[in-house]
Amino acid sequence: MRKFTGMALAVIATIALTPAARAQEAPQGDAANGKRIFLKEACFTCHGRVGEGGAYNGPAPILAHTALPFEAFKGQIRNPINDMPAYSGAVLSDKDIADIYAFVHTLPGPSSPKSFPILNN
Amino acid sequence: MPKRRQDANQGADSSRRSFLKGAGLVGAAAATAVAPSVAAGAMPAAPLSKGKAALPGPRQIAAETMPPPSDPVNQTSSGGDYMVDVIKTLDIDYLAINCASSYRGLHEAVVNHGGNTKPEIITCVHEDIAVHLAQGYAKMDGKPIAMACHGVVGLQHATMAMYNAWCDRVPVIVFGGNIMEADKRAPGAEWLHAGVDIGQIVREFTKWDDQPASLQHFGESMVRAYKIATTPPMGPVFLSLDGELQENPIRDRGSLRIPKYEPVIPPVGDSAAIVEAARMLVAAKNPLIIVDRLARTPAGMKNLVEFAEALQCPVIDNYGRMNFPSRHPLNQSFRRVLIGRADVILAIEMNDLWGPLTHFRDRIERTSRPATKAGAKIITLGMRDVYLKANYQDFGRWQDVDLDIAGDGESSLPALTEAVRRLTDPAQKAAFDERGKKLAAAHQAMVERSKVDATIGWDASPITTARMCAEVHNQIKDEDWSVVGTAIRLSWMHRLWDIKKPYQWNGGSGGAGVGYNLPASIGAALANKKHGRFTVAFGGDGDFMFNPGALWTAAHHQIPILYIVHNNRAYHQEYMYLTAMAARHGRGVDRMDIGTTLKDPNIDYATVARGMGAHGEGPITDPNDLAPALKRAIAVVKAGGPAVVDVVTDPR
Repeated sequence: MRKFTGMALAVIATIALTPAARAQEAPQGDAANGKRIFLKEACFTCHGRVGEGGAYNGPAPILAHTALPFEAFKGQIRNPINDMPAYSGAVLSDKDIADIYAFVHTLPGPSSPKSFPILNN
Repeated sequence: MPKRRQDANQGADSSRRSFLKGAGLVGAAAATAVAPSVAAGAMPAAPLSKGKAALPGPRQIAAETMPPPSDPVNQTSSGGDYMVDVIKTLDIDYLAINCASSYRGLHEAVVNHGGNTKPEIITCVHEDIAVHLAQGYAKMDGKPIAMACHGVVGLQHATMAMYNAWCDRVPVIVFGGNIMEADKRAPGAEWLHAGVDIGQIVREFTKWDDQPASLQHFGESMVRAYKIATTPPMGPVFLSLDGELQENPIRDRGSLRIPKYEPVIPPVGDSAAIVEAARMLVAAKNPLIIVDRLARTPAGMKNLVEFAEALQCPVIDNYGRMNFPSRHPLNQSFRRVLIGRADVILAIEMNDLWGPLTHFRDRIERTSRPATKAGAKIITLGMRDVYLKANYQDFGRWQDVDLDIAGDGESSLPALTEAVRRLTDPAQKAAFDERGKKLAAAHQAMVERSKVDATIGWDASPITTARMCAEVHNQIKDEDWSVVGTAIRLSWMHRLWDIKKPYQWNGGSGGAGVGYNLPASIGAALANKKHGRFTVAFGGDGDFMFNPGALWTAAHHQIPILYIVHNNRAYHQEYMYLTAMAARHGRGVDRMDIGTTLKDPNIDYATVARGMGAHGEGPITDPNDLAPALKRAIAVVKAGGPAVVDVVTDPR
């Protein structure tokens, strides 16, 4: 319980960083390889092929253009909260995670629904 | 299937033969004239007179001088006729069947004696389809229909659907043919398809069952079965129908009475308990209502709206029925965080209360902790716990509660609302209004957030489920629509659509038994047909493949429905579970499509639909092709037929 709460607070705290701070922290990644891994290693099964989010036992967060800093992103993969499977280094290396992180930042995030008339009727 | 017959060696036998002789049978010799031995009350097989008497011909002379027939071949009444007379008094619209010899007596009587109306036969190609169709119908129409199946094997096919109906607390009247008397069974299949107690395989998930031994017994058990099925908590019932009882002539119709049906008035919760619940809710700082299978009539939603508004209390809807309008400001169904903030929670007609009130972790070591805050008071109102069974665990894990009120939720809400109004002072009323404003703002923020989220991957292929739902809504929004099915975890309709009429939603499968969605949606569409409503349903590809034959029923009976296949080419929930298993072991995450996906070859659902006589569109992979495909399909539905649109989608 204490561990869970601490992890959650760490995630929340790091989300609060500015985009510039997040960019500085993120390692260089290969987005093309990240896409390959994202689809091959089944990230898409819960989070969607374009990172639109989905559901597993509960909601699976949107990853397109995630606001999560790299360390929190990696932490969630290595030692996830809730029911997300943990991906060890044997399955995903730190380099793989950096590539995935780079890939999800190439995905278009949400837009204004005003540009989509059928969402407003 | 051979006609059941007596053993030629059983000369002394039998009850049936002696019974037949005196009960309205017409022998072969009477084909051209009335045999003098025909019992009183029997209908003649040929005209008795042609006016002025003509001289008898040789055949008539022979008929009048021959001994009474020993092996009659005609009869003028049957037990099945009486069964139909009883069924008609219960206003049962349809009898969904997969035809079988063990209930041929009833089947023939429904068609010829009953005129194939109330009930009208709905032909199904599998018993699972027939029961699910009845389940979907009952939830939409508010009253049950019946289904009939073969003894033993047909009933075995029907079981999973009956389990879904049981878990969903839906009334379905199930008949199973049986031949009780061993000496009346033909060699072969009739022995394979008979049982001493065929109802035993469904007894753990039916409210009641019986095997009537006489016609009067049937009459009483039929009315009793209907009454039990439709009394909350509702559920399926089963009657085993003896073949002899269905087929034999009626000995004395005048002695048979049809019992009177009078529905049970659902109980309102204890008045003192209702007042206590109201007191707790009025005093609460953060009350919360959570509901699942509350609305059993259109009054259910109206009553809940009035109650929630009296308290300005948030409502979390588990969507088991059309309980609460999706765009009502107090609808907070996508803000489960409120469970952890509530100081008093009222749970109404919940099937599984422990689940929503618990954080459960599906990890190597499974753990759970309350989602509620310490000291939160929990009140339950409902009928589920007054009828439970032991074997199947659909009752869920034990949940501690503080006030447990046995009473029908829908019927009890007006008293609860009145008590809340009576106990609320002006200062509290002002606080409620303030709370309501905050909740309305949060609701609107949720709606706007959903719209924003729906834009992600708008033009992607495979198509996002948000885009799919938005496109469908855009095409049907001006119809009097009713959405009656959804794939697992597909919630975009409830996030994006304005679902507010009592018939615009009817819940899920109940037992999470795959194969429900297509036939149950067609059942709901059958109920909607007489009202001219436009029925639309979403369903997964995995579910579709369990019962694709249901589309033939929709085509055959011209049941209009727009069915959207949410085609992610997988049993996707299992795909994710398997991935989690592999990740847990640190091996082979990239091969979890083995045994979990539906590809190589991809299934062409539009072609399957066309093969069943329905309209088929797809596979649609480009989101820009959706609108034209939907327009074509909708034109077919509005003309009275079923249409399938196969949409290749992202997983969720």
